[in-house]
Amino acid sequence: MLSILQEILDWSEVWALFIPVSILLYIKQPAIHKPVVLYTWSALFINILTDIIWKFRMLFPVNLSSNNSLYNLHSVLTFFLFSSFFIGLNQPFLVKIKKVLPFIFIVFIFVNFGFFENFFDYWRLSSRLLSVEAILLLFYSLSYFLFKVHESVNVNIFTTDFWIATGLGLYVAVNFFIFLLYNELTIHMINFAINLWNVHNISYIVFNLFIAKGFYESGKH
Amino acid sequence: MNLVNIDIRLFVVVGIAAMLLLFISFLLVFIFTQRKKLQYQTSLQNLNEKQQLQLIEAAIKSEETERHRIAEALHDEVGAILASSKLHFHSIKPGSGEYNESIYNKAKELLDDGIKKVRNISHSLHSAILQEFGLNEAINHFASKIAHESLIEVTTTLDREHHYSMKNDISIYRIVQELLNNMLTHANATKIHIISEYTSQKLIVKISHNGKGLTQQRFEELRFEKNGLGLKNIQNRVIFLKGELHFSKQAAGYQVDIYIPIN
Repeated sequence: MLSILQEILDWSEVWALFIPVSILLYIKQPAIHKPVVLYTWSALFINILTDIIWKFRMLFPVNLSSNNSLYNLHSVLTFFLFSSFFIGLNQPFLVKIKKVLPFIFIVFIFVNFGFFENFFDYWRLSSRLLSVEAILLLFYSLSYFLFKVHESVNVNIFTTDFWIATGLGLYVAVNFFIFLLYNELTIHMINFAINLWNVHNISYIVFNLFIAKGFYESGKH
Repeated sequence: MNLVNIDIRLFVVVGIAAMLLLFISFLLVFIFTQRKKLQYQTSLQNLNEKQQLQLIEAAIKSEETERHRIAEALHDEVGAILASSKLHFHSIKPGSGEYNESIYNKAKELLDDGIKKVRNISHSLHSAILQEFGLNEAINHFASKIAHESLIEVTTTLDREHHYSMKNDISIYRIVQELLNNMLTHANATKIHIISEYTSQKLIVKISHNGKGLTQQRFEELRFEKNGLGLKNIQNRVIFLKGELHFSKQAAGYQVDIYIPIN
């Protein structure tokens, strides 16, 4: 029973994405959701590859049997697509910072992978990249809510962008410390690290549920 | 080594829990604040709608009251005079020279009175003086009329040098009319002084009297009362003109200041 549950959780990065994807097939999204839609499809593609490589790594040649670079790629894509989503909301609050952050992130990627880490590292994903991505996205999410507090309230508080910002905020808040210490944990406490990844997977399911809710709500307005 | 591992584990678990709790608390505070704001806005909107309804109701009632007053005036004053003059004309008999002449003169007198009454009613409905000679003359005329009829002293100091003809003069005239009527009927004033002054941006009308007038607070209370039709009308007209109305108690009595923007 536990092994079935573990198997379901292991594949959650793939099947959880089918929830928003299934809504995308029925409800056409507004232009403002374009980055999130793009994220959903690209994440589905990347995560399918990630999980297939992980589960069937014995069948692949050695140089293709690591999925760590795909996690790095997923992280970069997530940051750029969600930052463009928040910038696209056109909230007149911390505009300059929000627009400058993607460029700072690009500089960080070049410096980090040029001098300190290898993007295609076989043995480990980049904890530094994932945690920086998480904290920056948390900033975007919090700035969204801070602006909304000052804005005059519409009839509906729970707008489509509210669900997406909340889902992302929860996901990055939970995973910041997981990403930050994951490499260390895999070295010293491999079992704990594997168990901890279940927390990441559960938060990823919740994140996708929130995205799906956002997509579904956009069909109502 | 094992102790260090436990420390790292604890650090990770506490870190995740703290971040999650912080974000959820932030979210709850956000939702609570937004709900409060929404409730406040809804109650404000309801209050505005209620006020609008009251104003519409007041406008309708005021129109009905005015119609009733005209109907009463026509029936009780003009109707009676015309009926009486008809009777006088009917009682003229052929061949009774002196008697007929006195009856004829009485009937003519009654008809003149009737014409005068109709003119008065017509004047109260639409001021020809206002149209022909402007606001200052209309206020002067109305002031002299009530001073004569009510045996009270009404004086005016009107700005004739910087007078701008305004398309909303009729509304200003009606506000002054209604205020003077109130001062006579409710404040029991015996001395009224009207001052008008034009600046480059607004017309200021100040009406002071020695009766028992209103303060701003009392005015705010009364204008929402069911029977305060006159005050509602005044307020409606001031709102329509985008002006301001201010009631105050002065050393020698009470004063109403009206500020109407020009253009």
